[in-house]
Amino acid sequence: MSTMTVDNTLRDRAVAAVATVDDPEIPGVSIVELGLLETVTTTEDGTVAIGLIPTFSGCPALAMIAADVEAAVTLLPEVGEVTVEWLRSPVWTIERVTDDARRTMATNLTLAVRADSGPTPCPRCDSPTVEKSEFGPSRCRAVHRCDSCLEVIEVMRDR
Amino acid sequence: MGRTWSSMHDFEVFLHDGGMVEVDDDMPDEYRAAVFRFIELHANSELMGGLTERDWIPRTPGLRHKMAVLAKTQDEIGHGHLLYMVAADLGVKTRQEMLEDLFAGHSRFHNVFHYPARTWGDQVAICLLVDGAAVPSQKSVYKDCSYGPYKRILKRIIAEEGFHLRLGEERALRIAQGTDTQRAMFQQSIDDWWWPALRLFGPDSKPDDRLARWRLKSEKNEVMRAGWVQKFVPMLHSYGFTVPDPGLTHDPETDVWTCGPIDWEPLKKTMAMDGPDTARRIAEASAAWETTRWVRDALDAAPAGAVT
Repeated sequence: MSTMTVDNTLRDRAVAAVATVDDPEIPGVSIVELGLLETVTTTEDGTVAIGLIPTFSGCPALAMIAADVEAAVTLLPEVGEVTVEWLRSPVWTIERVTDDARRTMATNLTLAVRADSGPTPCPRCDSPTVEKSEFGPSRCRAVHRCDSCLEVIEVMRDR
Repeated sequence: MGRTWSSMHDFEVFLHDGGMVEVDDDMPDEYRAAVFRFIELHANSELMGGLTERDWIPRTPGLRHKMAVLAKTQDEIGHGHLLYMVAADLGVKTRQEMLEDLFAGHSRFHNVFHYPARTWGDQVAICLLVDGAAVPSQKSVYKDCSYGPYKRILKRIIAEEGFHLRLGEERALRIAQGTDTQRAMFQQSIDDWWWPALRLFGPDSKPDDRLARWRLKSEKNEVMRAGWVQKFVPMLHSYGFTVPDPGLTHDPETDVWTCGPIDWEPLKKTMAMDGPDTARRIAEASAAWETTRWVRDALDAAPAGAVT
């Protein structure tokens, strides 16, 4: 994260506030864990500027996420003007998703993250899965089938 | 290979004790058929809903809402895709057979997709009232669902439908703040969609509902319906709209709204494939299937691994 920090405390609290915002379609997983938070800039008079990056640019949840982030940060004491901006770079990649988020998605939503190389393991039984469709209910997810337990799963991907 | 049960009684004891059924279990035929019908109905409804949504992509006002409609279309078609896979795994019908039955008018989809969506107001009413009925219905199925593969997919679907409902609430609030013409349009949409959305819950549940015993439903239809009325009547009233129910009553002590007598004839007609827009909807879905045949043929003809 690149930052121009004046007040570390306010900045830390702003990051914590952003981390309370879950992805609207992945309850229990915050947008920070998904790697959407890129920059947090604060000034001495309490303004907070948040820079986010989308998983893909056509994501329909962008306005909702930005509104949720703005609302969460505005609630902080001693905060002045809050701005939330969707940045054009860097491009979001699957590596930005934290291990915690991967575990939560696998356990709670049988949602996997595409493996760097080789077949993506099944979130239920760890066996290899096969891609059945490049797109599932979302542009950032493919549909896979587990060879072993036959589970139909979704796999988050960045390309 | 999965588990087996010596009798329906043993199986029902297993379900009663909270057991989860998986795809490779040797489940009783009646249960298999019931789960299949349930998921097939859901899959068909997602597909028909997705096609309605698609009709609105070019007509949706504003880029932001257009993006949302595009994504909602992808959501519904994607849900249908997942559900058809899970339904086909039960071995009752193949996905091809399910689609052919749907396009031939031989299998059911939810009543709300038998009506025309004529205006943007209708789309907002659908996103609010229909999704507002679908979410509690799906949650009721999910909560105690005995069929594992369906339960796990429902969890993701519910999260996404919840997002649609939030969009619906946002759109309704926006249209409520609109011009007199926009408000009149939305009032007409409420008048047209209130009853079809309310009937989505179905008639009162029977005392000994087999689907409840098999843990495919955990809430009575009338309870979910009452919750829906209690949510949307005050919301629409606070936005200055009326609800087209002359028998609607309000208990000032408990602040509970109760709907008047429900006419079930329209629901029977949609179930008999004779709703106001049934024929056109099926013809459109069938045409969409036919015009995309070349894509499926090309994919089937490609050598394995050539198309990713």
